[in-house]
Amino acid sequence: MYGSASTHDLPSTAPTGLENEDPILLAEFEARIARGEKIEPGDWMPALYRKQLTRMIEQHAHSEIIGSLPEGTWITRAPGFRRKMAQMAKVQDEVGHAQLLYSAAETLGKTREQMLVDLINGKSKYSNVFNYPTPTWADSNVISWLIDAGAIVNQLANAKGSYGPYCRALDRICAEEAFHLKYGHDAVVHMATGTPIQRKMMQEALNRWWPAIMTFFGPSDKMSVHTEILMRWKVKMASNDECRNQFLDMYVPKIWEIGLTLPDANLRKNEETGQWEFTEPDWEDFKRVINGDGPCNAERLAVRRAAEENGAWVRRALSAGKTHQYVRPLA
Amino acid sequence: MIHSLDPRMNRLGLPETAPAAAKPALDQFETYEVFHQKKEGAPFVYVGSVHAPEADLAFLFAKEQYSRRFACTGMWVVPTSAITVTEYAGDTESAYDTLPLLPRSAAPAPVDESVEQEEAYAAGEEDYDIFHLKKRGKAHQHVGKVRAASPAEALQVAKAVFGEQRPVVNVWAVRSADVLHSEDDDRDIWATTTDKKYRDAIAYKVQDRIEKFKAENPQA
Repeated sequence: MYGSASTHDLPSTAPTGLENEDPILLAEFEARIARGEKIEPGDWMPALYRKQLTRMIEQHAHSEIIGSLPEGTWITRAPGFRRKMAQMAKVQDEVGHAQLLYSAAETLGKTREQMLVDLINGKSKYSNVFNYPTPTWADSNVISWLIDAGAIVNQLANAKGSYGPYCRALDRICAEEAFHLKYGHDAVVHMATGTPIQRKMMQEALNRWWPAIMTFFGPSDKMSVHTEILMRWKVKMASNDECRNQFLDMYVPKIWEIGLTLPDANLRKNEETGQWEFTEPDWEDFKRVINGDGPCNAERLAVRRAAEENGAWVRRALSAGKTHQYVRPLA
Repeated sequence: MIHSLDPRMNRLGLPETAPAAAKPALDQFETYEVFHQKKEGAPFVYVGSVHAPEADLAFLFAKEQYSRRFACTGMWVVPTSAITVTEYAGDTESAYDTLPLLPRSAAPAPVDESVEQEEAYAAGEEDYDIFHLKKRGKAHQHVGKVRAASPAEALQVAKAVFGEQRPVVNVWAVRSADVLHSEDDDRDIWATTTDKKYRDAIAYKVQDRIEKFKAENPQA
């Protein structure tokens, strides 16, 4: 569900290091991508490709793990047995997606252990929207529908990318997500077309989440050298603005048709350009939150850390004193 | 202490900040590669890896991870370290073309039905399972078994038996003894997988409710 294509921590002024790569191998690598072939773990690849993909897949994996928390919160309090079962199945899917993605990132050389440590230490990022709370069941529904919808826009684009293991993981993830989107839509529609109190609850949740949703795809891409290279290498498949516009195109009408409103007076589609116009999100606030100062950052990492610590004895017991020979997954 | 909206979190009494847990180096299990069979008679196809302390648990994790949602009739689990991998070829080539030649003494035995199995096993040969990747970005698929005395020889025999197939982007060879197979009796595990309709998109008939709402609220 939760992948966001934008990685927030690659300074666009950093050197690409391309001048240090073997020009013949680089040309073969680029020719392979240009003719539509995927890159597999056994292939030569430039350091920048490996680094950027590792970061992107790892952040995606962390977003699945952390993203399951605000919805997971509502499993015990979901209204009705059927929704409880569905919410549980969805959360389990998300955690499963993290497993798939960690494996894909491992094929690039970073160990799973190191990724989990970097998450807990706050060194690795995850999708910033999960630093906000889900105070009501309706907030959880907004995530199930609209955050998943945004992630699917990203994931479908990335599934056409150039790295084989990431594509395989995304194919499976997208197949599982079909249910999430419908489940989320159903839950939102149920509330929005329900009693006046349910309707109000849903509208308030949507108002709370809309600013975060608008930042989900990241700031406008500056067309730096990096962006150009990463697009040529099919690491980045669509610009943040393209993804955001596609999302608005698909979902704003679905929100309006059930009589809900969006808290942005400037939101409208410019029929001439085909582009949505909106109030620019508060990127300073976004930066502040992603760097640790959001309402739930500390809780998310504390919960993750507790899971790691509380699970240590289980891993020890399973190991039964045996030393494991870690081998990188193959594909 | 963390104050959460989730009462369960509050009961844990989590500290606001804590030093990162010091993990022993490589506090993780070995990896296993997982193959599944979608329906009776279909080939086993690669689905991904799991981390596990030993094969039985790898199977358990694999079942949860890879056969939780969609139809499945069988599953194989193989330690990653037991798989021999060829070079990757292009999408129109064959990985068999770049196999290193074996020294003469280790040349593959001809695949000949007249060679008795007993005799082959007596000569130190074993069964190997062979998997092909037909296209980059897709998944390895089981193509059959060969008998050989080493993984390198298994690849040579596989070339003789399956080498005509094209393209072959990549080949995996694994000693059949290293493959943990689900048993026929295990199939019950997956009997109810597809019954859980609340996990299907089709179970959510949301459009009916939207239409009804729009009919009742024409101004919305």
